[in-house]
Amino acid sequence: MSDPVLDIRELTLGFRGYTGYTEVLHGISLSIQAGQRVALVGESGSGKSVTARIVLGLLQETRTARIKGELSFMGQDLNTLSKKQWRGLRGTQMSMIFQDPTSALNPVFTIANQFIEVLRRVDPELSRDAALQRAGLLLESVSIGDPGRVLNAYPFQMSGGMNQRIVIAMALANSPSLLIADEPGTALDVTVQAQTLELMRGMVADKNTAVLFISHNLGVVREFADQVSVIYRGRIVEQGATATVFGNPGHPYTRALMAAVPRITGGGIPDIPDNSDTFLQPAVIHDASEGAAT
Amino acid sequence: MSAILAVRELYKTFGKGSAQVQAVKNVTLEVAEGECLAIVGESGSGKTTLANMILGVMPPTSGSVELDGEPLTAKRTLAQRRSIQLVQQNPLSSLNPKRSVGASVRLGLDVYNIGERRARDRMTEAVLADVGLPAEMRKRTPAALSGGQRQRVAIARALACQSRIIVLDEPTSALDVLVQARVLRLLDELRRERGLTYIFITHDLSVVRNIADRVAVFQAGELVECATTSTLFESPQQAYTRQLIAAVPVLSEGELSLRNSMQPEVADE
Repeated sequence: MSDPVLDIRELTLGFRGYTGYTEVLHGISLSIQAGQRVALVGESGSGKSVTARIVLGLLQETRTARIKGELSFMGQDLNTLSKKQWRGLRGTQMSMIFQDPTSALNPVFTIANQFIEVLRRVDPELSRDAALQRAGLLLESVSIGDPGRVLNAYPFQMSGGMNQRIVIAMALANSPSLLIADEPGTALDVTVQAQTLELMRGMVADKNTAVLFISHNLGVVREFADQVSVIYRGRIVEQGATATVFGNPGHPYTRALMAAVPRITGGGIPDIPDNSDTFLQPAVIHDASEGAAT
Repeated sequence: MSAILAVRELYKTFGKGSAQVQAVKNVTLEVAEGECLAIVGESGSGKTTLANMILGVMPPTSGSVELDGEPLTAKRTLAQRRSIQLVQQNPLSSLNPKRSVGASVRLGLDVYNIGERRARDRMTEAVLADVGLPAEMRKRTPAALSGGQRQRVAIARALACQSRIIVLDEPTSALDVLVQARVLRLLDELRRERGLTYIFITHDLSVVRNIADRVAVFQAGELVECATTSTLFESPQQAYTRQLIAAVPVLSEGELSLRNSMQPEVADE
């Protein structure tokens, strides 16, 4: 196998606060190959978003954060990068889609201006006309039929679904090797969410982009990802191919999560016990040869 | 079963001239006592506007809202207001951050003058116990609670007023899946024990399937389909309803086949 796009080994994170040191990630290991879609699933506070922020190098700038572990991106050790080098990667080789598109876009600039800024990250000499032309094509690729109107509009003049498509187009504009999508559909309606995910799947498949997909919605994960890591209180409790994890969940927490999802075929609301001792059992890692747990 | 609440030919228009928006168009609905009626539709379909008119926080442009067969006027009596209570989506913004949980729940008792003044603290503790919160939680502020606990407080606040109808506006969409299951179960149990009537607004059809008796589907301000839950999921009449069901992300094979049966048979293009 070739070098993974992103490889995280034994990542730990803690925060130093008034009451001492609190560890929030207790050794996360995760690896994503080119073209692979890896989902990180868990409840709020489990450590999904901080993992994404560490990969982007954003949390490193928080003074109270203590980060340990190996991070490698395209064979390059991220820990040795200077702040400036890391900044050079963001928006060009790795990009991110946030949960709420309307707050991710700047309300006082038109889409055109924000798009030009994104494209000039890679090519600072790009002329305005050339940038707008590329932006138009990119918007068309996310099924926006009228790019001219959208480019001249402000984010608040458009719907959430439209804004999320614009954000996707921007995130993929510079053909990044890694895309981090943090709950990209949660702020959207169910029909719009389905369309958005379909669109995103097509785009990353075309460009062979590696995706780290963060979500708490198991149904969405099952449809989007090909590898799943279930995270609970800063620990990965189950990891494997999507079909294996969903078809044969090995860890009590994964089973509880699956049982808690209401089904459209009915069956009532499941009774979820408050007792969660079993959720801290050792992780179940499914290896590539389907089903076998180690 | 008699209708506890009815809306008749309800319209709501915002704005004037070319900027005019009809948020709710000619909606007629009846809700039976003890029923859980789900209102589904995408954002902007008029779900929340309808709820606001039912709650009396927004006057309808035309049409009427009836409680026990009597039309509600713009100025509702205390008893009428007490009958219909609201639980909102995000408890962090619906609860007063400076007020303790106990004070938030007790406020309804004071406003509607329920019970003896001296007994109200005890009543507050009792209603917190009903939603599964220990009595010592009463002294905390919402910031010191988890998301699920906060939503339980919001539910307790609606219950404390001894209301008969509770309007639940996306009550679990801000919660994690495990917490959502526990809160939904609590809501379901409370309704059965107390004979409450729910108007459950959501866009999550898998939740609807498991909690509602009847479903009203809204599209662009209009009621497009209204049927019992099993009828709606087994044989939806409207293309829009099928589209909504087909968009639900699913986990199991059984669900997948149900969803696939919702895909339009002939593609439009």
